[in-house]
Amino acid sequence: MESISLTINGTRLSCPQGQSILQAAEAHDIKIPTLCYHHSLKPFGACRLCLVEDEKSGRIFASCVTPAASEMVIHTHSPQVIAHRRTIVSLMMAEHPESCIVCNKGNRCHLRMIAAELGIGDNALYPMPNFAALEQANPYITRDLSKCILCGKCIRADHELVCAGAIDYNSRGFNSRPVTLYELPLEKSSCTFCGTCVSICPTGALSAKMQFVGTPEKESTSICGFCGVGCSLELGVAGDKIVDVNPSHLKNSVNDATLCVRGHFAHDFLNSKKRLTQPLIRTEEDLTPTTWDEALETAAQRMLEIKERYGPDSIAFLGSSKCTNEENYLFQKIARTIFQTNHVDNGGYMSGRLFLDLVDKRTDGAGRFNFFAGPFSGLEQAEVVFVVGAEPSQAVPVFDYYLKRSARKGIPLILANHRKIDLAGPGSIWIHPQGTPPAAGRTADTFYLELINLISALLLDKEAFDTSFVSRFTSGFERYQEELLSLSREDCLDKADLDAQTIALAVDLLAGKKITFVVGDGLMLHRYGKETMDALLNLALMTGSIGYKGAGFHIVSKENNLVGAWDMGAVPDALPGRLKVARSEDRARWEKAWGVKIPESRGMDLLEMIKSAENGRLKALYIMGENPLRSLPQPDLLLNALKSLKCLIVQDILFSETAGIADVVLPAAAFSEKAGSFTNMEGKIQCFSPAVPPPGLGKPDLEILTLFAEKLAAPGNTGSHQQIRKEISSVITSYSNGAACKHPIWIREKAQPEDSQAEEHIRFSPVATSAETEADGRYPFTAFFRSLRFHLGSGTRTEQSSRITAGEEQGEIEVAPADAEKMSLADNDRIRVTSAAGKIERNIRINPKVEDGHIYIPTAFEANGARLLLRLEPFFENDSGGWSSCAVAIDKAETMTMDR
Amino acid sequence: MKATEIDWDRFAEIIEKHAQKKWGLIPLLQEVQERFGYIPPETIGAVAEALDLYPSHVQGVITFYAGFSTEPRGKCVLKVCRGTACHVKGGKSILRVIKRDLDLEEGETSPDYQFTLETAACLGACFLAPAMMVDREYYGKLNPTKVTSVIGEYRKPEGDE
Repeated sequence: MESISLTINGTRLSCPQGQSILQAAEAHDIKIPTLCYHHSLKPFGACRLCLVEDEKSGRIFASCVTPAASEMVIHTHSPQVIAHRRTIVSLMMAEHPESCIVCNKGNRCHLRMIAAELGIGDNALYPMPNFAALEQANPYITRDLSKCILCGKCIRADHELVCAGAIDYNSRGFNSRPVTLYELPLEKSSCTFCGTCVSICPTGALSAKMQFVGTPEKESTSICGFCGVGCSLELGVAGDKIVDVNPSHLKNSVNDATLCVRGHFAHDFLNSKKRLTQPLIRTEEDLTPTTWDEALETAAQRMLEIKERYGPDSIAFLGSSKCTNEENYLFQKIARTIFQTNHVDNGGYMSGRLFLDLVDKRTDGAGRFNFFAGPFSGLEQAEVVFVVGAEPSQAVPVFDYYLKRSARKGIPLILANHRKIDLAGPGSIWIHPQGTPPAAGRTADTFYLELINLISALLLDKEAFDTSFVSRFTSGFERYQEELLSLSREDCLDKADLDAQTIALAVDLLAGKKITFVVGDGLMLHRYGKETMDALLNLALMTGSIGYKGAGFHIVSKENNLVGAWDMGAVPDALPGRLKVARSEDRARWEKAWGVKIPESRGMDLLEMIKSAENGRLKALYIMGENPLRSLPQPDLLLNALKSLKCLIVQDILFSETAGIADVVLPAAAFSEKAGSFTNMEGKIQCFSPAVPPPGLGKPDLEILTLFAEKLAAPGNTGSHQQIRKEISSVITSYSNGAACKHPIWIREKAQPEDSQAEEHIRFSPVATSAETEADGRYPFTAFFRSLRFHLGSGTRTEQSSRITAGEEQGEIEVAPADAEKMSLADNDRIRVTSAAGKIERNIRINPKVEDGHIYIPTAFEANGARLLLRLEPFFENDSGGWSSCAVAIDKAETMTMDR
Repeated sequence: MKATEIDWDRFAEIIEKHAQKKWGLIPLLQEVQERFGYIPPETIGAVAEALDLYPSHVQGVITFYAGFSTEPRGKCVLKVCRGTACHVKGGKSILRVIKRDLDLEEGETSPDYQFTLETAACLGACFLAPAMMVDREYYGKLNPTKVTSVIGEYRKPEGDE
């Protein structure tokens, strides 16, 4: 780009053509006060504070909306400019209520800062405050529009960044205010309570609802510990508590100026009364407080005894997709080297590790192919986005903003979902089962698989596949082609209950394009999850949608460190760096690094561990940061299995259901209280430092593991996170820069597609189809399990947030209007939902977005009660029903008045 | 008597005419306003969908312009001038007379939806001061008698229901 030179305040500088004067000044550290400008928003020119004077013409104009021109001579603080600025701020202050002393924005208020800088204290103008009613009915955001200065930042952030469209200006002049549609309260609008507007508001007009009033003592940058997006946070600290959360000011963060309701408002769970503050040990029936020394000594002794007596196969380790890379690494290292067992897994079992396994299988674990689409920002270059079985606005809201923004830019969107998700817009195609009986009852299982097969077959008919990619990088295409040719298109249409016309439109749109896939994690918890993922991989290979800018897979990951836990080897079949346990050359690399032999066979996964505990073969289980009693189906069965263990060690931050039955409980630190790194769903490794100390006697997980290893008399398993990082990076190439992490926040794209692709081939897998299923007459409805944006996973942490629990959503089951009418149900009536596995009772909410014959049950609410309808079976075995939906019957239950 | 029910078929016609057109919002709203006499708030969602806008944005545009109303207005809209020339020539008394005659305050609509009374900052017909408009007709050099007779012309004929 051409650069131009100009003079600002006597300094000669150059800037790229097209930049505004404000941007040019900022780039050269010349400060110009602003209220309505934000680097991520389109300039607006509303506040007029960024006025500057042009020496040549003597004109004064707003620098945020004036492009810098060659040979301009600009003064940012000339007497005339200052005089204008003072007048503008005086007028604003005259309209502003005198409530600075009790205002939540406190010393962070930009208006107050600028007024102070300009020395506007006692205002000579007649005060004319423009009072508006205070809105604070919802538990998240307090709106005091008396303090609004009409900078429009909230509106623009809402429209340009978050794409929720909840608010806009109303009326004109003095009456103008940002309001919702029909001026309803926020909770009745399309507001998602992401809180982006709260953080971006320069005054106290929008603030987070809280007890604390004033300015946090310090701010500390960190990474959010909830979902796989990995947003950068600015944690406000008062004393040793986190009192406030905002998006970080870093310009290259994943989330920029946005956050979601969990990230912004659910972090009050960190100060929950249920936080573990001291080690506990079981004496008789009770858990009693003890010292660290005794707790660790007991844990180590018992584990060693069990290993001596029953052998390494009697011990298992459950790591966590919520803990850091360093912690998971050390955790599995202790299991593999000291206890000589590969029985290591993590909670990611339930959130889509399957995809990684399948990719691995096709490339024989070479893993150099990058199926991942890479950074979210690549969506801007996508040719077509295909969202399959995902509802990103609920699971990973900040990623959803990326999707909505690219859709608004005109990138075509195809959605395959039983429900019309809110990404559906005028430019998108929504593919869904038509609800034609008798197919209606059984499409939950077959829909995705048959749809993907059909799309692949129709693309083949059009000869819309990437010949050069297929011949260069894949093998087995001929067979795949034959199988697709012999596939009955009618069968697919019928089994998935599809509308042929919609599919034809979608195929036309996909033909000849590189596809960016967005795959929901629920898709993998599915009866045909594995087959569907295989079909998707085949489709991606056929269209050459891999290793191409913006194309590839985005796998929705609900847990913050799902990818990291896998990379670090907290899985039964892989060592750190995704090296296969079963392959001797892979094993040899770590055996050399660790100086010990590693057992050869693959270990047990989470469900196998439970089965083994049930049978009495598994004697000891060490759980770090997971709560299976709340997250898995059939808790009664699980409870018995866990109780039959001789030793259960639980290391967690909250006194969870699982901690309640442990023999030793070790109080750990949350992400805000420790250092480490997370790997997000794009594959970005992000480091962070502690903001506050853990409560009470709690210790960071890494320190606990180090102390535990010391008790086991196994040196070499200790170290700070820097040392561990060094160890990791010495063997795992994709983490090789990890040790060099100097900054508290370090962001680096993980291994990009390498050129080695030419040497390898990825296999096509055979086309699988779904079996004919008989609808069970006893269970005529299909229940889908839906995770709402307010909770994460099973809700162990988010339930401890007083804001989240006070919200509108109380776990109501969504029912279609026609079904509600048939059963004469009204909003808030109570129903009983029965499946083959169990039953639950809940209130309902009628929602026209729900298709007839379907109901949606939010997970996480009421101690994650939805799981009671499921069976504890591996969901990718064909005889099991999967974990994302199930057949149910519903009937009306006695209405119970709920105390809210 | 209440405001007419929304004729959704007629509304759909208007939507279809303007859907997906760039800069189509204001012409669309004008047509709705013209045909229905107001913009029924319950149509905002459909308008927004047709033009791929946020409903809050559509509402923002409607409330910005005085020419759009979200409440049913009378068959005849009276706009009394408040401009300087009209003021000097006794516009204030004219307004008082009209208010008394129609039994309406500024911004109000009569219960039978015959009249809506509004004022305007200036009608730009200062040579006719004091002036007012009824729908698109100008009436100037007003005096109380003239006002009463003009209003009389627009009144519903007796017994017409």
